[in-house]
Amino acid sequence: MANAGLISLAHASFSGIGGYAAAIAAHTFGLPLYAALPLSILAGVMLGAFLAATTGRLSGLFFAIGTLAVSEALRVVALMVPDMTGGAQGIDVPQGLRFGPHSMAVAAAVLAGAALLLSLALSASRFHYACRAMRSGESAAQMLGLNPRRYRLGVLAISGGLASCAGGLSAWYTGFLDPGIAFSLDITIIAQVAPLLGGLYTVVGPVIGALVLTGVSEATRLGFSGTPGVGQLLYGVILVVSVLLMPHGIVGLFKRLLTRRNAAAVRSRSQLAAAHEGNHPNPSAERT
Amino acid sequence: MQDLPQCLVDGFLLGGLYTLAAIGLALSFGVVRFVNFAHGETFMLGAYGAFWASHLWGVDPLVALVPLMIVGAISGYLLFRGLSRWLIDAPHINQILVTFGLGLILQNVALISWTGNQRSTSPAYALTSLEFWQGQLVVPLGRLVACGVALALVCVLFCWLKYTEVGRASRAIAENRSAATLMGISVHRMYALTFGLSTALGVATGVLVSSIFAVTPFMGFDMLIKGFAIIVLGGMGSIAGAVAGAFLLSYGETFVAYYVPDGSGWGEGVAFALLFVILLLRHAACSDKRWRPERCHLLSTPACRSACCHWHGSAPHGSHRLNTPTSYSALQR
Repeated sequence: MANAGLISLAHASFSGIGGYAAAIAAHTFGLPLYAALPLSILAGVMLGAFLAATTGRLSGLFFAIGTLAVSEALRVVALMVPDMTGGAQGIDVPQGLRFGPHSMAVAAAVLAGAALLLSLALSASRFHYACRAMRSGESAAQMLGLNPRRYRLGVLAISGGLASCAGGLSAWYTGFLDPGIAFSLDITIIAQVAPLLGGLYTVVGPVIGALVLTGVSEATRLGFSGTPGVGQLLYGVILVVSVLLMPHGIVGLFKRLLTRRNAAAVRSRSQLAAAHEGNHPNPSAERT
Repeated sequence: MQDLPQCLVDGFLLGGLYTLAAIGLALSFGVVRFVNFAHGETFMLGAYGAFWASHLWGVDPLVALVPLMIVGAISGYLLFRGLSRWLIDAPHINQILVTFGLGLILQNVALISWTGNQRSTSPAYALTSLEFWQGQLVVPLGRLVACGVALALVCVLFCWLKYTEVGRASRAIAENRSAATLMGISVHRMYALTFGLSTALGVATGVLVSSIFAVTPFMGFDMLIKGFAIIVLGGMGSIAGAVAGAFLLSYGETFVAYYVPDGSGWGEGVAFALLFVILLLRHAACSDKRWRPERCHLLSTPACRSACCHWHGSAPHGSHRLNTPTSYSALQR
């Protein structure tokens, strides 16, 4: 979604709704995993479509606030309809239907691979260029014949479906879900920090970022098991440092190392400047 | 409707607190055009400051209010001067992410240092209440005092904005930054000053709610979202709008809590529902037009703003120029 210029803090809402869809499917209807996951994806796509329809042409800050509000609103709703969602007590996935952690990890890896393939396919398509155009300026893109509403719908629906799938899988993995866990801000934070750390506008960046971040969080969990909050503190530090000092993430650093080594110094610097301008439009540069 | 007077009074008392909470955000967004997701942490730090002041030295929160506000103002000023190179005029996404990260850091430092146990200050007046009409109307004294101080601070802010040189300078910057520079106003210093003021107001809110709500490292985030909902309701960057939005939200929550079954649970969702309704309404009213807060004056009322205002998408270049070539935003960019 960052590729289309939308700051989305809605990840928790997609993940939560996918989680609840999967958990309710298992708990109330007794569906197995391969039937519950498509339901999560469907729920996510519908929520994405709803968000696209309601937020219209909002961008930037207002979109961010709106999406954050949706996450919190869904949390309140999940809390207040205990008949469906188990309310504050939460809902669990029946033990008989669950698989062991090993098979879940395999399933997760397969789905992650599928998501990556989807992302690769999209990045080579017209969809990707349309989103990049929207990021640079939605009205300008509209003048070129692009329908921003349709691409927003697409972006939100796809991203929502993927996030909900992750949420559903995570609900099955842990076996228990309650509104605080499902819609927790942690999920949104990870969803923002990981791509930023890895490289925001690349395909492989979020993967690298997610792996690094998971490694860091597991390391802190093992190393500082006594004190809660160290993991999140590190997330915060990584977030601030990445935005201020590493705007292109790990992938960007890597690319910079490669170009510095290969080309002549002057030529590589001009290449870098052009890439920076294209990917990360800088308002002060435009003022001149 | 039974309990209507009680409901109205409760809504008013809550509204005073919400006003103070939102006004710092409105000031920082209106003047500095800076989205501060760490503002919730100023509430948290103010509350913890009041708690430790009362726990370690037995100081009443109201007495600790002014020193804590001064500390908050200075820290805000210094922080802004430190970060301004990166954050002024940065795309909104950068501001949001950096302040979000800072908020996370502050939250977790507080969690690690002070643990997540719920604390509270308990000054003597917070535990009593005034009763009218033979107990039919109960006004908790702690909330009354907090609301009174909050509204007094808001009035001081209004007077500052209207009658002092520095306040007028802030309004000038909020209206048109380039023209303010031409008038000899040092924009960067004013930005840091206004940010310091907004931090001080956040700290004041924290101090006042320390005896009303539980003080935990995570208390900031809920109030932050409500604060954002309020300034969106009232029109981004307008102080009068923040006041109106705050009372709208507080009355909404109180009415839902009283008259809807299970209302106290649903009350939390009122902020988001209202936010969404406003987004939908404005979207419907303006169809495809964009919104531009640069034209909104800091002290203007929501009514005149809804008549003339357009929201501004945060695309760093291009889009607003297509709408009206004569807008102030063209000068600013």
